[in-house]
Amino acid sequence: MTNLKLDYQQTSSAKVSIFKVLGNSPVPWLFPLAMILVFVFLYPIVDMIRLSFTNANLISAEYDYTLSSYLTLFTSSGFSRMILITLFFVFFSVLFQMLLGCLIALLIDQGVKRGLTGTVMVRTSVLSAWAIPGVIIGIIWSMLYNESQIGVINYMLHSFFGWSLPFLSDPNVALISVTLANIWRGTAFSMIMIYAGLQTLPRDIIEAAMIDGANAIKRLVYVVIPTLAPLLLINLIIITVDTFNTFDMVMALTGGGPGQSTEVIALSIYNRIFREFELGQGAATAVVLLAINTLMTIIYFHYMEKKQVVA
Amino acid sequence: MSKHHKERWINSGIYLAYVFVLLFFLFPIFWVLSLSLKSVQELFATPLIWFSTDPQFANYLHVFQNTNIVNYLYNSAKIVLLTVLFTLLVAIPAAYAFSRFNFKYKKISLFAVIMFQMISPVVIAIPLYRFFVQVDLINTHASLILVYVAIQLPFSTWFLKGFFDTIPQAIDEAAIVDGCTRLQTLLKVILPVSVPGIVSTSILVGVQSWSQFVIPFILLDNNELYPVSVGLVNLQSTIDAITTHYLAAASMLAILPVMLVFILLQRFIVGALTSGAVKG
Repeated sequence: MTNLKLDYQQTSSAKVSIFKVLGNSPVPWLFPLAMILVFVFLYPIVDMIRLSFTNANLISAEYDYTLSSYLTLFTSSGFSRMILITLFFVFFSVLFQMLLGCLIALLIDQGVKRGLTGTVMVRTSVLSAWAIPGVIIGIIWSMLYNESQIGVINYMLHSFFGWSLPFLSDPNVALISVTLANIWRGTAFSMIMIYAGLQTLPRDIIEAAMIDGANAIKRLVYVVIPTLAPLLLINLIIITVDTFNTFDMVMALTGGGPGQSTEVIALSIYNRIFREFELGQGAATAVVLLAINTLMTIIYFHYMEKKQVVA
Repeated sequence: MSKHHKERWINSGIYLAYVFVLLFFLFPIFWVLSLSLKSVQELFATPLIWFSTDPQFANYLHVFQNTNIVNYLYNSAKIVLLTVLFTLLVAIPAAYAFSRFNFKYKKISLFAVIMFQMISPVVIAIPLYRFFVQVDLINTHASLILVYVAIQLPFSTWFLKGFFDTIPQAIDEAAIVDGCTRLQTLLKVILPVSVPGIVSTSILVGVQSWSQFVIPFILLDNNELYPVSVGLVNLQSTIDAITTHYLAAASMLAILPVMLVFILLQRFIVGALTSGAVKG
């Protein structure tokens, strides 16, 4: 045994002495990560902020530094409309993803505790919506919402109620349609986060509440939700950021139309730059999105810190 | 009402709710499958046909022969595999360092890493597009994979760090006493016991990269190089009502690989998502 150990020590020290020196500092371990993140994230972010102070466009290479992008942006009615559309989309997506996610998580949790069959099937089918690429979700829902004869949702509405809806052709309805598809897409994530949280709930607290005579609703409101509050907050922040950043699903479902009625902020950045070639204005819009991302991150850290203190 | 009776009512209520949940989440997928197997007549039939009595598997053959789908799927598979590989190569050492070293600014660096997770890919894609055009690396899978890897790194590093944190330090110390270098400790001691964590990370990175759209949409301008997400949007623009069944078939083909991976490995995925959730 001692011999073996000695042998091992000799060969290793001869072979990798240089690694040993380097290996005891964290720098070489973190260097590749840092290089990639600086190049792919930090440099583009700085470049985007720089471009937002120019009148650059995609057609000519020359540009001047100016504040005109921001001035045009903040004074245009299109911008405030776009922000309102984005806020509507984010608010209702997040609200219903949280509510449905919570409800389904509780249903599965209760099902498992009661030994019901089919809990795995419910979980898998909800999660499969999460695994499908966003663009394909957009394509799938564009088929469901189709306003010609082949649209199945309108067929059902018509046969049950006798009326149908202009899902994607009416500006107001289109925004609701896009939001609904996004709720379908995002509920799985909240569901699984909350489900995971429910598994970590200490049994004794629940039992104590039961002995005190608290019914299911009271236990949920006074015990389960407060205990899960940090997790719920973190989930809220993650899905809010994700929804603000949504591009793929809306792109495939409406492309931002009709008109610009479903042009959420990420799509607006793309359209300004690649459809109208207004790099400066697109960059200024991107800086607005970056500001939102940063704000959410600060809130996130704030609660992460708090959670660590508690734990 | 007896307790037993009440329990049965509650159970029935839960089952009823399950039916609604299943309908809401499975119906869209069922409908695409149904569309993909219809003939043109069935597509437009009134009353609507829920599922073809004579499924047209030829629709899939048509998609294979007349679109670039095979190429798209191949590109996606290649990009995803390489992304997973390179993400692990960079994230594992970084996660090890965050888990095992103590250094100045460690907390700030960790927060800096997770901060990039919040940045919208649209924002970074445009400056990168301009940069890759300048250095003539636009329209290559290599530059694309670099960006994919970067997007996956914050999450992977955090996730693996969390996993390494659960492995007792005593194991490392024993290995170092035995004469292992840090690198040997990682390769021979930590990695073998981290297989579940690495598998979970790979699956999550794989599923996310398969879905990635904005980056290839902006960085690629060549039909031959498109992954399946961009390929399908491209296909969608050439399709009208009368060829919806082909678009549906192509969508099914694009979903199928992730669905298969998903159903086969769902225990790992749920494990991965939930352990991530619990750690915040």
